[in-house]
Amino acid sequence: MSYTLRKALQGLLLILGVTFISFLLMVWFGPDQTYTLIGKNATPAQIQEVRQTLGYDRHFLARYADYLVELLTLDLGASTSSGEPVSGMLARTVPVTLALMLPGFVLGNLLGVTLGMAAARRRGQWSDRLISGLSVTGMSISFLIIIIAFQVLLCTPYGLDLFPVRGWQVTDLPSYLRYVAVPSFALIFVTLGYNTRFYRAVFVEESARDHIRTAHAFGASPAVVMWKHVLKNSMVPIITRIMFSIPLVIISGSLLIESYFGIPGVGKITFEAITNGDQPVLKAVVGLTAAAFVLIQLAADLLYRAVDPRVA
Amino acid sequence: MSTPVLSVQELSVTLRLGRQMLTVVDGVSFDLRAGEVLALVGESGCGKTKTAEALLGLVPPGLGSVRAKRIDLGGKDLAVLGEPAMRRIRGREISMVFQEPLTALDPVFRAGQQLASVLRRHLRCGRTEARAASLDMLRRVGIADPERVLDSYPHELSGGMRQRVIIATAMACRPRVLIADEPTTALDVTTQAQVLAQLTALTRESGTAILLITHDLGLVAQYSDRALVMRRGRIVEDTLVGELFRKPGHPYTAELLATAVGLARPPAGRDAAGPTP
Amino acid sequence: MISSSAGYAAREVPAPTRDRGAAERIWVRLRDDRSGMIGLVVVGLFLAVAAAVWLGLAGQGWSAADGGRWEPAGPQHWFGTNVLGQDVFQRAIYSVRTAFEIGLAVALLSTALGAALGALAGWYSHGWVDGTVLWLMGVLDSIPFFLFVAAVAYAMQGQPWAMHLAMIATFWTTTGRLVRAEVMKLKTREFVLAARSIGLPAPLILARHVLPNTVHILLVQSTIAFVAAIKTEVILSFLGLGVQDGVSWGLMLAESTQEVLAGHFNNFLAASVMLFALLMGFNLLADALQDAFDPRQGTP
Repeated sequence: MSYTLRKALQGLLLILGVTFISFLLMVWFGPDQTYTLIGKNATPAQIQEVRQTLGYDRHFLARYADYLVELLTLDLGASTSSGEPVSGMLARTVPVTLALMLPGFVLGNLLGVTLGMAAARRRGQWSDRLISGLSVTGMSISFLIIIIAFQVLLCTPYGLDLFPVRGWQVTDLPSYLRYVAVPSFALIFVTLGYNTRFYRAVFVEESARDHIRTAHAFGASPAVVMWKHVLKNSMVPIITRIMFSIPLVIISGSLLIESYFGIPGVGKITFEAITNGDQPVLKAVVGLTAAAFVLIQLAADLLYRAVDPRVA
Repeated sequence: MSTPVLSVQELSVTLRLGRQMLTVVDGVSFDLRAGEVLALVGESGCGKTKTAEALLGLVPPGLGSVRAKRIDLGGKDLAVLGEPAMRRIRGREISMVFQEPLTALDPVFRAGQQLASVLRRHLRCGRTEARAASLDMLRRVGIADPERVLDSYPHELSGGMRQRVIIATAMACRPRVLIADEPTTALDVTTQAQVLAQLTALTRESGTAILLITHDLGLVAQYSDRALVMRRGRIVEDTLVGELFRKPGHPYTAELLATAVGLARPPAGRDAAGPTP
Repeated sequence: MISSSAGYAAREVPAPTRDRGAAERIWVRLRDDRSGMIGLVVVGLFLAVAAAVWLGLAGQGWSAADGGRWEPAGPQHWFGTNVLGQDVFQRAIYSVRTAFEIGLAVALLSTALGAALGALAGWYSHGWVDGTVLWLMGVLDSIPFFLFVAAVAYAMQGQPWAMHLAMIATFWTTTGRLVRAEVMKLKTREFVLAARSIGLPAPLILARHVLPNTVHILLVQSTIAFVAAIKTEVILSFLGLGVQDGVSWGLMLAESTQEVLAGHFNNFLAASVMLFALLMGFNLLADALQDAFDPRQGTP
């Protein structure tokens, strides 16, 4: 019981920390919105009124408390650039981002595990060196370069011209596949090198353990050793890796892909909010990611327990 | 004079470490007779374990190379056998028990699963049959509540218990040869005696020959029939145990005996870089 | 004792014929690593170019708009020109300096910060200092990086150092965790216990005895941080949050996004090739360093 309590407390402190820092940076140090709202030629009385509405005259902690309450009650306000309610924006964009990023993310990891295992099994041989070499090469190419290159090679007449250049007109499965293809390829390409290297290292380390030697000594085939013993014992680091790369890949990755391909997901509205100084949207996104991170940690803990009997 | 169950002729193991090639086992030859306990004695680092691993073909090709004139197991030459055939021999005709019982079992599978999978692999029996056979084996290694142990995970069992499970697994297919590499070094003295007693009783019953690798001369005196003394990859002595202690042939053997305090463990100095990995 | 590489944990390995010092062994392993040496040479070349730009010997014509629009490669402009008539080659060369400025600043400072905080957390592990540092690391890791950069940029009212600060403030956590783990292990070693028993104060022990034993971590992490910094700058410049004055490969790539659709690839190719070469060199070097310090993990 105290374990769950401790984890919940840690999660709470985490959310508090994240929201506090973002509040500090964006709201406290952020631009004064007074003049954006009413222009330069305002009377002192009008200025005073607006400042009161925006809450600028209140104490620092009071404003932070307001911010937290807003987050908790999901009173996220409306976008200062479009006027649309933020909760509506999130409801509209989150599914798009998930539909866009999940296939590439999942495939990138599945391929990474497979290649990593192939390399670990043939450690030192030419196929291992080839895989490792390709991984390093993949790691040295910037995501932006890949996106630009893939767009030119796959979506324009200078290349194969098979897929749409930008946009997200998804009405059914075939159109979904056409719009999700190039972003997914790009995502897989950029993450595959890192994933393969990581998983290879995990499998190599696990293969050196005593109980693997025992398995060999009792006549297990290399395939059984790898897929049954090494893989199951590697699940803890694999789960850790996947869970904790979700924020990085899906959130940061979606920012770039969506702004580039013009796909209306969370990343795109975040980017627009950054450029426009749209605070309600930014506050909401930060809160959302903090909450997601805590959920991810909880999910990871549960998965650890399911997979490794030694975890209490 | 019965034919030996295992006859090793000029076994050599060379390891590649960085750029260097090191010969860790150099032209080792010996015979192992049915039902006997043959001790392989020597300091840490003399090549004992690598000899054992080479017999089972467990030296990875990337790490080094194994050469032998012949390794005869009941007419088959293990030195030229391919991998699939070797896998049928491992755990079935030759079994090996390792030194670290705490880490020898897979921590994410139950003890029973691991025992049963070996049985099913080599004896091709069904699930219920394997479970029954596993329970039986566990009883024979002196485990009083085999049901509980079968369904336990390794971290829920003591070191001695885990070693018994390993021994049960090793003996389950009634192998001709059991290689025991420092099987009790990591256990406390009481458990040590129990495990060894169980081991020798089991093997006597099934006629399994034991190659007992150890640096503990006390164990050699107490449990083995013959002894091989190994030094820097070579066999320097091959005698009956009685002869070994009374009239050691090789000066090195005399040295070994002299540094052993009574029949207790050799002092820590010589084993400084000891069995811990 | 030498430990074995592939496969199983070796038990008995005869002692080496000559016991070289640890540092010498590491250097020999590094020197023998061919791809690592190639990486080192590549990085050295780029460093030389950056130095040349700093000293005013190269890339000085990066902003001069003296060519026609989108001229192809020619004797006047080796890589042609961009939309404003600027020499693409000069810009690519100048960007080497930009890359090194960002990379070195972020790599050195984030590693230093990570070492300091990680050492503190590891030394006072399971106490409130450790708890605070771990909490801080968790928080920083949870904030989406680009939002953080944007927020820092807001807070600093658009100062050019916002990007560097944001990177340093988030990159240190990886080094911090590694150093923390290492310090926790080193704390129990005899030489530390000996130092404490003669009454040396903690900061002195950490600085003189403990941290020097983490140099292998710091070295590898700083090369990784350098790579991460340059890659991050590329994306930030594309988003408009990166380099504000001067030119960088990120800015060149950002420019090129529109151009390539119309068939003008000079900007894109110049920036991509240079960026790839430098990153590849650093990655190979980082791998070689890691293998030299711990040969068990890599490909033999």
